[in-house]
Amino acid sequence: MTTRILALVGDCYGARGGIARYNQDLFGALAESGAEILVLPRLGAPDTVLPPPGVQQRPPVFGQLRFSIAAMWAAWRYRPIDIVFCGHVFMAPLAFVLARLLGAHYWLQAHGTDIWGDRRRLVRLAIEAADQVTTVSRATRRILLGWADLAPERVRVLPNTVGDQFVPGPPSDALRERLGLGPGPILLTVGRLAASERYKGHEQVFACLPALRAEFPTLVHAVAGEGDDRARLEARAEELAQQAGVVRFLGYVPGGDLPDLYRLADLFVMPSSEEGFGIVYLEAAACGLRVIGGVGGGIADAIPDARVGVTVDPSDRTALIGAVRRLLGQGRVDPTATEAYRRPHFAAAARLLLARLVARPRRMRGMS
Amino acid sequence: MCGIAGVFAYLDVAAPVDRGELGRMNDRMAARGPDGDRLWTSPDGRIGFAHRRLAIIDLSEGGAQPKHSADGALTITFNGEIYNYRELRAELQAKGYEFQTESDTEVLLQLYADCGAAMVGRLRGMFAFGLWDARQRRLLLARDPLGIKPLYWADDGWTLRFASQAKALLAGGAVSSDPDPAGIVGFHLLGSVPEPFTVWSDIHTLPAGTTLTVDATGPGAVQSYYDVAGALAARAGGPTAAAADARRQLAAAVHDSVRHHLVADVPVAVFLSAGLDSGALLGTMAQLGARDITAVTLAFEEFRGANLDEAPLAAEVAARYGARHIVRNVDRAEFERDLPAILDAMDMPSIDGINTWFVAKAAHEAGIKVALSGLGADECFGGYPSFADVPRSVHWLRPVGWLPGLGALVRRGMTAAIGAGLGVHPKTAGLLQYGGSWAGAYLLRRSVYMPWELDDLLDPGLLREGLRRLAPLRRIGATLNGGGSLGDFDRVAALETSLYMRNQLLRDADWAGMAHSVEIRVPYVDPFFLAALPPGDVLAGVNAKAAVADIPVPPLPAASRERSKTGFVTPVGRWLREAGGGGQGTMNLSVASRDWALRVWQAGWPGPAAV
Repeated sequence: MTTRILALVGDCYGARGGIARYNQDLFGALAESGAEILVLPRLGAPDTVLPPPGVQQRPPVFGQLRFSIAAMWAAWRYRPIDIVFCGHVFMAPLAFVLARLLGAHYWLQAHGTDIWGDRRRLVRLAIEAADQVTTVSRATRRILLGWADLAPERVRVLPNTVGDQFVPGPPSDALRERLGLGPGPILLTVGRLAASERYKGHEQVFACLPALRAEFPTLVHAVAGEGDDRARLEARAEELAQQAGVVRFLGYVPGGDLPDLYRLADLFVMPSSEEGFGIVYLEAAACGLRVIGGVGGGIADAIPDARVGVTVDPSDRTALIGAVRRLLGQGRVDPTATEAYRRPHFAAAARLLLARLVARPRRMRGMS
Repeated sequence: MCGIAGVFAYLDVAAPVDRGELGRMNDRMAARGPDGDRLWTSPDGRIGFAHRRLAIIDLSEGGAQPKHSADGALTITFNGEIYNYRELRAELQAKGYEFQTESDTEVLLQLYADCGAAMVGRLRGMFAFGLWDARQRRLLLARDPLGIKPLYWADDGWTLRFASQAKALLAGGAVSSDPDPAGIVGFHLLGSVPEPFTVWSDIHTLPAGTTLTVDATGPGAVQSYYDVAGALAARAGGPTAAAADARRQLAAAVHDSVRHHLVADVPVAVFLSAGLDSGALLGTMAQLGARDITAVTLAFEEFRGANLDEAPLAAEVAARYGARHIVRNVDRAEFERDLPAILDAMDMPSIDGINTWFVAKAAHEAGIKVALSGLGADECFGGYPSFADVPRSVHWLRPVGWLPGLGALVRRGMTAAIGAGLGVHPKTAGLLQYGGSWAGAYLLRRSVYMPWELDDLLDPGLLREGLRRLAPLRRIGATLNGGGSLGDFDRVAALETSLYMRNQLLRDADWAGMAHSVEIRVPYVDPFFLAALPPGDVLAGVNAKAAVADIPVPPLPAASRERSKTGFVTPVGRWLREAGGGGQGTMNLSVASRDWALRVWQAGWPGPAAV
């Protein structure tokens, strides 16, 4: 029998960013196994991307009250519903109420920063009521279990998956020329340049550049990404790198162009301390690039072992310089190191989690 | 009886099993199994087991572990003994199963092949095991019905680890030692850490009488297959026997249990106090024809010549049944010498277990590998004061609950008065607030500290969080949920068996016995035995506690009956009190010393927020 899922999410099809990407991967995998999914997003431009067969997405509805009313109405029209999926803990109370009203299973997805901050009692109680919680990383799971009273076996980890386009390949000389990056080595960082995300550690890399340039005179740091903090970061780059042109701001790089950028670079460096997972590390590694991340958050799950890269304390400049120096000498990553993050593994795990949830006894309508 | 451990990297992204980690876990349990030490990892590296062997049944290589089924599809690492393995073996052979060895471990593999996880309901014994089913790619973890053998597990969301000792999981190096507020509060309340908590947030106890299945999605829900209250309710629903018949039924049940607990390929000894329970075990062993029985008794210099010295009466009982009697003298200097090793062997903080440490040490010195213990008799036969106190408290004080807030008000007033010098025990203040419910009255009876007293001992945030997740009254009350309308005796028996015996006595018997490579067998802790006894109200009616003396033929000597029940009473209580920083004053025979609880806690357990 077809499993029908109502998904309340922040954003999904037609949106950028790691969480939207994750939702698309998850719903795609579930729909491939025969599930029918109605996605209700709060943000995004749904008309730009067509959902895969089995998935419908309604137009985004912004505003808590409006979204709640729209979700109630959509749920009523979409009955029968087997699972209410909640893609952000912010919406957990609504998802909980809907699941109880519909007598449906309640599946909550936690990413990282969403549960690190929101510790209101109402949200906690709504999280504790979930039949199944999935997190993108072990760190997020651990943090969640530390403050919510959930049986540990109910909280499962479903790590991000890396897209098929992220595979090793020859570096593009044309791209190197177009970007004017010179002979390198090229250090690469890919991430939003947002004032709210300064934990990504751009400035820590800038501060290492004078020492690294002493050893590698043609080394450059390419920064891909856009955001409201760009102007400030550009100023900081010049100040910390002590030389103009060492840091190259590339602006927003479309997803389709990222694999070539990874193949061109020599090392991915983003000593971030708060990523829920950090899909960019994995994408870089899948293209053969060694990576350096920061200690903290869920990054350890995207850089699981030394075959892929290392994590360093972002505030330890000596360690960061040492790691760059060491990894630059190690060549490309063995492609098998990221094999377990490929889509077939992700899809199989997602389907097993769906089956596991459906196998649980259904709650009676209206019962807690 | 052994030590087991395992690692299952169930998610594809998880690193393969690290044999070094398995080895470190196994090494931490060296004392549990001095006779063998093996690791096994699957060809794909996704699962690995470790085992330390204390050879008791089938001393040959046939009993070595981890053990595989003949077709290689099943692998087990097993700690414990299955006393009905010969019956099960015969039954399986009749169905066409073929056996290569004489070990009980192979019976477990074949029984799983026959009936899957439902096998646990067929087992009579003490056990904890991990069983890998390569065809289903599924790991089964199981623990015996009453919690004699421990099993701990940790799951980080990618990889699941398990071991006989929580400290072995930490020794592997991949499990964090972050503190668990619920376990820490539980220890301060009760003197032992209530399952499923430990003092480490990432390590959980697999509860007694449950199984846990782990597949490619990780661990599923913990499944219960045995409930004490439910078993006692089923027993109470059986036919009611007359007094004489009840005594015969009691004697038959003890005979049957002791007979099963003698199954071994090495000699079985007994821990003998001057009390009736252990004496009845020795008498029954002799009556059943056990040969060359050794009885071990502790004696203390402080008690020499006093009524409290158990050795003379124990010697009389040993002589009556023809046992070789070993009296082991322990003094304070030895206690102080052993204290660091005791605290190291203690897998979880506990206010007890010291007596077991010394009697097991004595047994080990005498070359004994297996000994029967009278542990559990008080829970079966109503030997604790709680069997009278708790029902009386509930019946008298229940009406106080009709006036909401009165109990709490009185408690606050009395606490202030006690603080100002009113010379009664601080717990007395909670009598009206807690005494009117089964859970509350039991907590009052068994607690070291009451919840309101912990404000002075623990960080406020840790205490609040710990109490919220521990929910002590709800948790205690839940042990009675499966029992329907149990009588007073059975209610207290269910509480004592499910809480004090499981979390304190059995856990202590495990770490203190295993630290000396001695297997402690407990014939009074056995679901088959419990079910064979008359109902609780009949046991109370025939004064089962005293009737135990008449079970062996010949019965225990008159002096044993005359002497009030003291169990292994020792001066350890005083040593503990003094070691805990208490005064030198009068002798305190209670090991449930508050000072000692704090001393244990301060001896190096985690808890940055704990004082």
